[in-house]
Amino acid sequence: MTLPDYFSQLFSDYTLRTITLGTAILGAICGMLGSFAVLRKQSLLGDAISHAALPGIAIAFLITGTKDTNVLLLGALVSGLIGTFWIRGMITKTHLKSDTALGLVLSLFFGFGMLLLTFIQKQPNANQAGLDKYLFGQAATLVEKDVTVMAIVTGICLVIMLLFWKEFKILLFDADYTKTLGFNTRFIDILITFFIVLAIVLGLQTVGVVLMSAMLLAPAAAARQWTNKLSVMIGLAAIFGAFSGVFGTAISASQNNLSTGPVIVLVAGVFVLFSFIFSPDRGILFKQVRKYQNRRDLKLQKTLQFMFDIAKTHENISHPHAIKILNNFQGYTRASLKEMEEKEWVQVRGQKWLMTQKGYEAAANLYNNY
Amino acid sequence: MDAQVEIQLIAAVVAIACAIPGVFLVLRKMALISDAISHSILPGIVIGFFITEDLNSPLLILLAAVTGVITVILVEAIQKTGMVKEDTAIGLVFPALFSIGVILIAKNANDVHLDVDAVLLGELAFAPFDRLLVSGIDIGPKSLWVMGTILLLTLGMLFAFFKELKVSTFDAGLSAALGFSPVVLHYGLMTVSSVTVVGAFEAVGAVLVVALMIAPAASAYLLTSDLKKMLVLSVGFGVFSAIGGYWVAHALDASIAGSMTTVLGLVFLTVYLFAPSKGLIAVMYRQKQQRTEVSLLTFLLHLNNHEEESERRVQHLNEHINWQKVRSKTVVELAQKNNLVAINNEIVTLTKKGKEFTDLALEYIITNKDEKIEHMKDDFFLFRG
Repeated sequence: MTLPDYFSQLFSDYTLRTITLGTAILGAICGMLGSFAVLRKQSLLGDAISHAALPGIAIAFLITGTKDTNVLLLGALVSGLIGTFWIRGMITKTHLKSDTALGLVLSLFFGFGMLLLTFIQKQPNANQAGLDKYLFGQAATLVEKDVTVMAIVTGICLVIMLLFWKEFKILLFDADYTKTLGFNTRFIDILITFFIVLAIVLGLQTVGVVLMSAMLLAPAAAARQWTNKLSVMIGLAAIFGAFSGVFGTAISASQNNLSTGPVIVLVAGVFVLFSFIFSPDRGILFKQVRKYQNRRDLKLQKTLQFMFDIAKTHENISHPHAIKILNNFQGYTRASLKEMEEKEWVQVRGQKWLMTQKGYEAAANLYNNY
Repeated sequence: MDAQVEIQLIAAVVAIACAIPGVFLVLRKMALISDAISHSILPGIVIGFFITEDLNSPLLILLAAVTGVITVILVEAIQKTGMVKEDTAIGLVFPALFSIGVILIAKNANDVHLDVDAVLLGELAFAPFDRLLVSGIDIGPKSLWVMGTILLLTLGMLFAFFKELKVSTFDAGLSAALGFSPVVLHYGLMTVSSVTVVGAFEAVGAVLVVALMIAPAASAYLLTSDLKKMLVLSVGFGVFSAIGGYWVAHALDASIAGSMTTVLGLVFLTVYLFAPSKGLIAVMYRQKQQRTEVSLLTFLLHLNNHEEESERRVQHLNEHINWQKVRSKTVVELAQKNNLVAINNEIVTLTKKGKEFTDLALEYIITNKDEKIEHMKDDFFLFRG
């Protein structure tokens, strides 16, 4: 199947529609909640939680023996939450720093999960195959029921986010002030963290434990470059996330044996790269252009200042001077002289220049304006 | 040598080689860089494999290690632009590189004898089958030689630059002033970590190498604050979990790398809970003790402030300082045990010793010199809270 085929069959084919809808919803909720994670400097918490979810999946399977997605994801949720709270405990109760705590939970939980997975694979039970799809994700396994669950959870998240919008926002930008206003910061904090864990767990089936954190971060990091407003950022992140999900799934479905996770992550990465370069305010390209412009303006102003120093020693400010004497001055080029002429700061007559009244005033006010 | 012994030997060597750079990563608060490196070397390994067709070739190790260093540089470059915070930069770079690696493997599945499971878990169990032959004579498993060389290099660097590493880890400014460039040491450490991660990758896989680096160092850090002891302890923990993990895997018939990590996790959990002064239980106990002692101080100051009997009734204290019954009972009992107060007819009075202590405490509160209060407690308290 090729890419155009995929999109032409999108509306007629039931499976494709389900998968696409699922990844779009997933991308949107990840982008939304990821914005909070990025702004709270908890970017890598997502990485730790998604890895920490693995043993939960394995234990849920060992206990219940079913491969029902919801049961397995419930296990993932529990072990993800345990991981999160252990990280907090380590940071507050011992002198281990947050990077060590995150790394420990990430690798130790994951290692334990892998032990359980290999243990399950060796069990004489025909039902065990397919758990390893949670490592890198397989969007093709999404069924309508999974998508419904995702949609419901997303709806609940949205409602709660709108309900607590003010609290979330203020906690994000000034936690101490929030506390003095009498809000229960602990509760809001736990609520946000819980939703981040929830979003990660929802994505495990599609993107997998290994790369889920990027799904959370990338849309938000991309959206951050375009705006300084929280609501716009969340909206943009949701859109970027949804598009990465859909395109990623489309590409991986049109190729053989390609897990969805890595493809979605790469598509999201392209969004980030594009934003880093082309965003008008913070992007590398325009920043560089602005830097260049500023430098040129500064040079022009320095030349003007130099001319002013010469002109003011004469009674008539428009007394002509040889262009030659500017040669000693670094900021001077033919182009800059021409530009100054266009601004009507100076007039050029043959090999001489003279300062206009306008130029004289501009130079005199040069430092007053700043 | 027996294959079982060889596997354990390889595991132990990998554990030691990881534990040493791990200590410095943990102390420098860069533990997550190991996670980033271990994921992002994957494309380096895959491309290296296309060129050399041998997972143990030195060229491949070099190529992959370069990818690791590039990751570090990339993360730092993104961070410098100020567009995102450091942690986000890490979180963006390594999944992208890792994804490229996974896709490369999936697209060339027929040509590459690497599969995605091996990337995550390593294949320690098969390590003894890949022998190193020198002029036709079998001199042991290849990966043992590779890891052994890396370990020797790491040890050599550690002994040669121990002083420099120590200074730059704890005081980068001083180190720069003394003429050891923190930047050179930083990239040196990153290079050693990358090489070690690449070497260990085949044995234990991408994620578990992180555990081997961080967990022994973190456990050791909870037990000591001496760098040398920390290094020795983390090597010890590493070797213990390597060998312990092998036997657990043997018993459960499961992944060796997974069970090594699990043993490491258990070791860390034990240390985390029971470490003498920095473990969870010790910290909680100390916090409870301090809470009671602060209450005791408040109580004594209150008594000191009030001459009138009505303010010094046991009943009244409950209401006035707003304590729960149990708490005030503990505090009053502690004060009595330490001979700081006497109770006559429900009226609490400071004893001579109590008065002396309260005056000293007042002085402490005014001057606010932290180091004094602990001495005072040692001098006056027979029983602690």
